[in-house]
Amino acid sequence: METMMFKQIKSHFATDDVEVKRNDLYKVGVRHERLFELIHMLRDEYDYKTLNAITCTDWIEEGHFALTYMLTTEDRKHTFMIQTMINREDAHIKSFSHEFKQAEIMERDLHEMYGIDFQGNKNLKELSLENWVHTPPLRREFDTLEFVNNNLTFREGRDDNIDTKVESKRLRALKKAEKEAAKKAKEAAAAETVKDEEVKDGK
Amino acid sequence: MIVIDLFLMLLVAYAVGFLYYGLYRNITARFQRRFGPPVWQSFIDSVKFFFKEESTSHGWMFYLGPIIMMSGAIMTLFFIPFFSSGDSFSGLSAYGNLFLVLYLLVLGPLGNALGVGTAGNPFGVMGVTRGLTRLFAMELPFYIAVIAIMSLSGSADIATIASGQTTFNAFAYPLLFIGALFSFIGMMGQAPFDVVGAPVEVYSGPASEFSGKFLALLMSQSAIFTFAKLVLMVHLFLGGASGFLELLLKTFVLFILVISFGSLYGRFKTPQSVDFLLKVPTTIAVVGLILATWS
Amino acid sequence: MEHNGFLQEQKTLEGDLNSDTSHKSSVDFLMNWFRKRSIFVLAYGTGCGAIEMPPTFTSRYDAERLGIRGAATPRQADVIIVSGYCSYKTLRRIIRTYEQMSNPKYLLALGSCTVNGGMYWDSYNTIKKLEDYLPVDMYVNGCMPRPESILEGFIALQKEIGEGKASSWQKYEENYEFYRKNQEAVLGEKVEPSYDADWYLYDGGL
Repeated sequence: METMMFKQIKSHFATDDVEVKRNDLYKVGVRHERLFELIHMLRDEYDYKTLNAITCTDWIEEGHFALTYMLTTEDRKHTFMIQTMINREDAHIKSFSHEFKQAEIMERDLHEMYGIDFQGNKNLKELSLENWVHTPPLRREFDTLEFVNNNLTFREGRDDNIDTKVESKRLRALKKAEKEAAKKAKEAAAAETVKDEEVKDGK
Repeated sequence: MIVIDLFLMLLVAYAVGFLYYGLYRNITARFQRRFGPPVWQSFIDSVKFFFKEESTSHGWMFYLGPIIMMSGAIMTLFFIPFFSSGDSFSGLSAYGNLFLVLYLLVLGPLGNALGVGTAGNPFGVMGVTRGLTRLFAMELPFYIAVIAIMSLSGSADIATIASGQTTFNAFAYPLLFIGALFSFIGMMGQAPFDVVGAPVEVYSGPASEFSGKFLALLMSQSAIFTFAKLVLMVHLFLGGASGFLELLLKTFVLFILVISFGSLYGRFKTPQSVDFLLKVPTTIAVVGLILATWS
Repeated sequence: MEHNGFLQEQKTLEGDLNSDTSHKSSVDFLMNWFRKRSIFVLAYGTGCGAIEMPPTFTSRYDAERLGIRGAATPRQADVIIVSGYCSYKTLRRIIRTYEQMSNPKYLLALGSCTVNGGMYWDSYNTIKKLEDYLPVDMYVNGCMPRPESILEGFIALQKEIGEGKASSWQKYEENYEFYRKNQEAVLGEKVEPSYDADWYLYDGGL
């Protein structure tokens, strides 16, 4: 069954990037122009009816995003991962929200975090960020540490970077030593006054 | 002197009402295997709210709502005598009878509705509509039972009804008592009929926009009203009381019975509670009425 | 405020359970006594620290014996607990909720994310120092502080209320420009969240 499916995919879509990752997980890579065809074929002929997830990986060195669509069969026994590459600059791809309802919010999330434009999705509003005007944050060119140091301030007074446990112990030992010294001084003073009185009485 | 009498009645109702709420929190805590707050905790809560400053104002009817509720509670208290005979702690009961008290029992939810409606908070409006819907269903078995008791005792004066019981009405006419008890559980705000002020569902319903001194007024009137209703039930069904100790004992036993129901059962939705109250307790009360007045 | 490193920081962050009491007059003493004996905590879990609030308020580590119970709305609450990190989205709502509460009100900050950013110190979407945006009465250390620590924080807060020292609401009113400037720097010109009926029903809402 699976060899027949792979043969069909390899011949029809002219791709060699077919992999069996586990006994229930398959992966294929395909060009983004043929993506719709492949997903329709899997959905109609091979019973992969549910879209599980759409995820994205940022390959900044090679200049493309790798989008992964994960489909599952109706009896939930097999999963198919389909990977396509789209350009990093001016990233756009046709939306799946008309066929799979759950794709609407997945694409909304990717649009917010990576800046990918899904053409045809009617609801590309913000999801977890509010009024975000800088670059989409999950892109690798966005340096989070630099952003944080430029826009937010930390609490002062930790530049000395002392270990709190060590420092607390030292301070407590200091206080104890001071107390003991004070007690000893008082005892010495009391002993002195007693001695003075004895001398006076003796006199 | 009647003024001192009234003042003392108010003081006793205020103190005992808050004491009972504190005991309620303690007993519920023991049901849940923990120790609760000290017994006077509800009193401290209400006094703390008197010391809070206000932050909102929604017009004059918003101020008037809690005042109507408080005056309703106090008036109801004044027309219910504490003891079944004698002149002390009888309040204004010589000038009004059970019919008047039944009318005054409605002033609570009414004042609530008037005050909350002006605030415009949707949760408040939701809570108030639920409260009035539930009131409409809750009154029916209670009125059937009370009117049956009135006709069987031959008088509408509370002291006469209380002192005219040879055996307690609860044991002589048990079906009437059970019918009235269901409504009474709802009047005390206990589960399964406590959908009105549910804190988790509807953000405490009618009380959601009140803050500071309004909330203190609401809590105080709740305490006073609770005690008034308990004394009324004791006089109608448990043979009244001739001394303070007997009164406190009987109200406490009734209170414990009601809150035991409350802490064991879940909460009915509003249509469910209306449905239940119009079917089961009403039937029980009507059957009790027929059996009691047949011969 | 001058900062000379570790010592100064520990002083501002620790509540001292052994200091002596001081109050201004007997009326103030009475008011503060009533206020500290009955604390209504707003049932609002802002961050991951909210996972430690249910055990504190229920049977195992019963907080009701101290007079602490939950309140349903900000109008009825005394204390708001900021339990953990504040993203920009949450901070907007916390500010609005805090301004809805009626005086006197107190703010209890749990966890290390409110102190100095905590685990999310390098995140682009959370704030690092809660004191710049809202006045804090008591910090409770930990990630997350266990219910015993939260109870000790409440006891320290009660002590401060009893002495009349917990006056963060006055600090907010007096230094409102400072707080507002910081809030606007992070959240933009319009600090309040935009939910009204039109936004929810017609502009698409959520």
